[in-house]
Amino acid sequence: MPGKLLHLITSTDPAIRNQSVDAHCRAAALPELMAELDALESFRRRSDNLYERVRALFFLYAIHRFHLPQKPGVTARSLIPFAGYHHLLQRRFEEAIATFLKSQTVEGPSDAISSALAVAYYKLAIQTLADQVRRSVRSVRGNQWMFRMGHPADHPLRLQPALLQRCAEDGTYPILRESTPVRMDLTHCGWSDIFFLGMDYPEGAKVLNVSIDLGVRGRDTATRPPIETCLRVIDEPLLRLTSVDLGATADLTHLADVFDFAKDYLGLLKAAVIASGIVPPGVEGSGQDLAELLARVVGNGRGLELVSNVNGIPKGSRLAVSTNLLASLISLCMRATGQAASLTGTLQEDERRLVLARALLGEWLGGSGGGWQDSGGVWPGMKLIEGVLATEQDPEFGISRGRLMPRHRILDHTEASPLMRQKLQDSLVLVHGGMAQNVGPILEMVTEKYLLRSEAEWPARLSMLGILQEILGALRQENVPAIGDATTRNFFGPIQTIIPWATNLFTETLIQRVRAEFGDKFLGFWMLGGMSGGGMGFIFDPAHKARAQSFLQERMSAIKRELQHALPFAMEPVVYDFAINERGTFADLLAGPAALMPSGYYALVTPSLLRQDRNALPQLRRVELDKFGAACRTRPELGGMVQTLFDAMLPRGKAEAGEGRTLPALLEEFGFDRTQHEQIRAELKEGRIGLAQNRLPLSAVIEDARPEDVIDATPWLGRGASQQHATLGLAALERGEVAVVTLAAGAGSRWTQGAGVVKALHPFCRLNGKHRTFIETHLAKSRRISRQAGNWLPHIFTTSYLSHEPTEEFLSRQRQYHYEGEVALSPGRFIGLRFVPMARDLRFLWEELPQQLLDEQAQKVRESLHAALIGWAQTTGEASDYTDNLPLQCLHPVGHWYEIPNLLRNGVLASLLTRRPRLKYLMLHNIDTLGADVNPALLGLHIESGACLSFEVITRRIEDRGGGLARVNGRLRLVEGLAMPREEIEFTLSYYNSNTCWIDLDKLLTAFHLTRDDLTDEAKTTTAIRAFAAKIPTYITLKDVKKRWGHGQEDVYPVCQFEKLWVDMSSLPEIDTRFITVPRLRGQQLKDQSQLDGWLRDGSAAYVESLCEWE
Amino acid sequence: MKINKAVITAAGSGQRNLPLQTLVDRDGQTKSALTILLEEVLQTGIEEIGLVICPGDKDAFQAAAGAHVKRLRFIEQAEPLGYGHAILRAHAVTGTEPFLLLVGDHLYVAQGSKPCAKQLVEIAEAESCSVSAVQATHESKLPYYGTVGGRRLPGRAGLYQVEQVIEKPTPTVAEQKLIVPGLRAGHYLCFFGMHVLTGSVMDTLQELISQTGVPRGVHLSAALAKTAERERYLASELQGRRYDIGLKYGLLNAQLAIALSGPDRDEVLTHLVELLAQK
Repeated sequence: MPGKLLHLITSTDPAIRNQSVDAHCRAAALPELMAELDALESFRRRSDNLYERVRALFFLYAIHRFHLPQKPGVTARSLIPFAGYHHLLQRRFEEAIATFLKSQTVEGPSDAISSALAVAYYKLAIQTLADQVRRSVRSVRGNQWMFRMGHPADHPLRLQPALLQRCAEDGTYPILRESTPVRMDLTHCGWSDIFFLGMDYPEGAKVLNVSIDLGVRGRDTATRPPIETCLRVIDEPLLRLTSVDLGATADLTHLADVFDFAKDYLGLLKAAVIASGIVPPGVEGSGQDLAELLARVVGNGRGLELVSNVNGIPKGSRLAVSTNLLASLISLCMRATGQAASLTGTLQEDERRLVLARALLGEWLGGSGGGWQDSGGVWPGMKLIEGVLATEQDPEFGISRGRLMPRHRILDHTEASPLMRQKLQDSLVLVHGGMAQNVGPILEMVTEKYLLRSEAEWPARLSMLGILQEILGALRQENVPAIGDATTRNFFGPIQTIIPWATNLFTETLIQRVRAEFGDKFLGFWMLGGMSGGGMGFIFDPAHKARAQSFLQERMSAIKRELQHALPFAMEPVVYDFAINERGTFADLLAGPAALMPSGYYALVTPSLLRQDRNALPQLRRVELDKFGAACRTRPELGGMVQTLFDAMLPRGKAEAGEGRTLPALLEEFGFDRTQHEQIRAELKEGRIGLAQNRLPLSAVIEDARPEDVIDATPWLGRGASQQHATLGLAALERGEVAVVTLAAGAGSRWTQGAGVVKALHPFCRLNGKHRTFIETHLAKSRRISRQAGNWLPHIFTTSYLSHEPTEEFLSRQRQYHYEGEVALSPGRFIGLRFVPMARDLRFLWEELPQQLLDEQAQKVRESLHAALIGWAQTTGEASDYTDNLPLQCLHPVGHWYEIPNLLRNGVLASLLTRRPRLKYLMLHNIDTLGADVNPALLGLHIESGACLSFEVITRRIEDRGGGLARVNGRLRLVEGLAMPREEIEFTLSYYNSNTCWIDLDKLLTAFHLTRDDLTDEAKTTTAIRAFAAKIPTYITLKDVKKRWGHGQEDVYPVCQFEKLWVDMSSLPEIDTRFITVPRLRGQQLKDQSQLDGWLRDGSAAYVESLCEWE
Repeated sequence: MKINKAVITAAGSGQRNLPLQTLVDRDGQTKSALTILLEEVLQTGIEEIGLVICPGDKDAFQAAAGAHVKRLRFIEQAEPLGYGHAILRAHAVTGTEPFLLLVGDHLYVAQGSKPCAKQLVEIAEAESCSVSAVQATHESKLPYYGTVGGRRLPGRAGLYQVEQVIEKPTPTVAEQKLIVPGLRAGHYLCFFGMHVLTGSVMDTLQELISQTGVPRGVHLSAALAKTAERERYLASELQGRRYDIGLKYGLLNAQLAIALSGPDRDEVLTHLVELLAQK
């Protein structure tokens, strides 16, 4: 059989080429699969064809990720060589693969090595594609010269003379202003505009893209192009960049500052200055003088001012605001330097294409990147954008099938009549649901699935081309209902087949309610962009549009209120007014009294100018202030400026949000220990505690657990071989001796990058036909076991200051998911106040601990961001209280060690024991360990062992980071990742902690020197807990926290907090602790949204469903 | 095709005095720049030269032309309406005949014994079409020159079929439209300040000026771009270099180049070394 899979790659017959790899692999036995892997590995090394190579890499990834580990004969326990992991972090993927393959050759195939190889092959595939796009961007004609230019004397651009023509009356320079619409995707193109995909399969890359003007309903009186950018000459030899919408302005005097993207909020403007060739990318790092470079382009002693303004359109609108803003800035700069034929008016087709090429370059420079349709706002009206086969004249020829740059065809009035355009405007309600999510992982998922020609996804993709044709036909026939029907089918069919995560509970609930309210007057739903929940479209019978707008506004807000703790909302939902923009990007020249920047610019810069001595201001600044003052008095649209400026100069008191409670009130309410806080601060400042100090001493001897150290439950779990344990466990369940404790206090910071939602309430996945929250899933497992035992398990969810009220309210609204047993919440009794981190710890994290290097340009951006954040910590005050955020975001839970003591202290356990005095055992588990249930056999095993604690461990995969089971100086215990003296030690440990722990309640109470009766004595319990806590190490950690501002903008700050962890119980000699190896499906944790896709595909989701009874 | 006439433009606001500057030619004779230029033309065999000047400059140019004054026909450009207009003013001299066109602020130094103008005229006569002298120029100099795009003529060293002409393009435009296979990366064929043009180019200039309604701003490059569409039009890399005496130190550079190409090369070099040794 070897070579069968190669044939899928190399065949010229599409019927063979487009077959899925999965079907072939499922049927193959291990030796066959190994032979295929060898053949693919050797092929991908010798093949010259980029896309064949990449496809082979994805095949290798898929086999190692989804198929090989399932085959009999593959060992579970194996070690991953640290050297290979280190290569991965350094992006030396080939070396990583060689290391892992060598290990596989010596030790035979294993789950662990396959997990490492899967990651390495996947990353190499994506890197290969990204490199190709980068090469193509650089090789686009019109972009190449910018990489050759390295000295100001060689600068070939000159500013257009019209921009140097001062006003005869006041001496000010004219302002070149560019107004640019945004774009919407009328079909949802199935992500086919991702560069890689267009280059792999240009025939499938097709988008119907519309340029639109916007207004926010209720705020704006008319629609207008949402993007406005301005450029003018200044009499200072510097670059002055201002982002009005982000409230940032800076004077750049050094060349290095132009390339420092993450230093401030001006990265996009900097990318435009570079990508437009004013400061060409070739001069980066040349050490040349910015003033000299500007002198060459603008004239001696002169510089340029660039201003961007987005008319209040929030982030995550799925209308490609940022790409079109970049394109607008680039167009402006190109016009100003003669790179476009016309200084004002619209652009020619070849100029628009160049703006697109430059925008791609700018996005790459800024470390971001969307699809090729995103600059669609530069073009007028409605257009079909299509991938193009590469020909001999293209730099891509012989490398990829398609060109980097697509073809734009503007639809004429035979294809979309003026009447049709009007009908569309009258029928469509555009909204922003308020959710802002990172779609980056989705783009990679789609790439992988398309290149693998996955069984369900590839036909879904092909079917989308049919839907596009339907929509084009409906446009010709002026048939809006047909469009609505097609976009709805697209959303519920192919889009969700390809990416199940494109939908969410918010969107589905909204659609349901709209449908219920409007019936057949609701003509269809239309998903914009990469994910729903942000920008979305609803199509209605025109007669009902106004009512629909009001309804959607009101209902989106209501659903947001219901789900605000469960889903990451960044802002209040918005309904837009929109109009098709028929001219695309457009420029005009403002001269004389009209030469004013957008009004927001003056709100931003005037206060600081007014604070200066008027005589010290440059002449042009004084004249401009006078001109602006005169305009404020005469132009009605500037009527509110006086109040705006007044507010800017005398800001109102800081509004305290956090559900109306102030930070001091919250600290008081949740049991903040000020004395302990001050002690931690002092120790942080003195360097006694910190990331480096978390670690065990270097002299500690840390070795892997021996086979006899663990009870291996993997071979027999669920197969009846442990019948005696199952019987023992089931009997205990029947007697009501067990309760479940789910750790649900956390904010799921990895899940939503610190957005502060309650992870337990997050409807993370559609299971058995509905979106299910973590809580519902855990209750569904308890329901099944309870029915099996004939006695309802009490299920306790631990909560914190952040999650208690939302969870209580949510469970009450859901009627506890109709769980018939007792559901209790155990509120937290300890809280911490976050610190601004120590620069020392930030450096330790970013510079000393092994970090995943990013793609070249993204890494530059990250390093710049890190430098800025270290600067932030130093100027704000290291180890000072972190208070510059919503009060709830300034607090932190103090680690899950406290959750069981909380249970002892807060009366929940005491109360439960009163009702269920036979309760003897607790099963404690993380909210994201979805496979954990009260398995009778494991319970029986724990009971039989007589231990106080039994921890469940799993064999390690490459993604299982954060400590493991080890012998430390000869004593078996779990070691937290933070405590590892060296990173590589973790790679010598075979077992990873699942954090599921069986607890013998009485033995635990004894260890705390407590009895059941003491639990009603809070003072005694508190003293016992405090005494016990002293034995548990305190870790300093850095967590990401989001600060939201403006229109859906978010900044992520690293903040310092401390925690104590439950695993350290295993280090105490007085606690009898056992360790049980369980199957991966039971013990693995779902920590990150990007894991979801693999989780759904590798059998994990099916396993969890098999444990659940939903009703 | 026989070329009997030449046109030199010297009416530009910045170039009026440049041809009147005095230099020492390669043989050590002191001459005006105009005389050197006229001698370059006369060595081609051309005997009639139209000189486009500003009103009032005639006396100075007559004096600067020295013995060659009798070959000259002075044409005044009454208003500064641009290069295209200046050339069109010489229509009366050229009529329908092909002519050699030079700018008054450039001097040329040939690498061999054959002067640049003669090289160009010979090619044009052999090919019977318009030919512009070009020089491969780094992209950083694009803001100063008209630039052509095209392809090499097979088997003809230094000779190109012109397909595009753009005046002072940005490198962005140049990279898209003016790349000529075979040149070094980042180099383009820029005008040398010397052309042989057929009579139809005058017609095209006239046509463009009529179309726009105003003569100002119509550039020769626009007419040449049209010429490339309508008739065979070549570009030739000559064995020599041009010197723009209007640039900063341009006159000095031109003087040095001329002096170093003649018998006094050693003497001039000695002076230069002495100068260098002083600091």
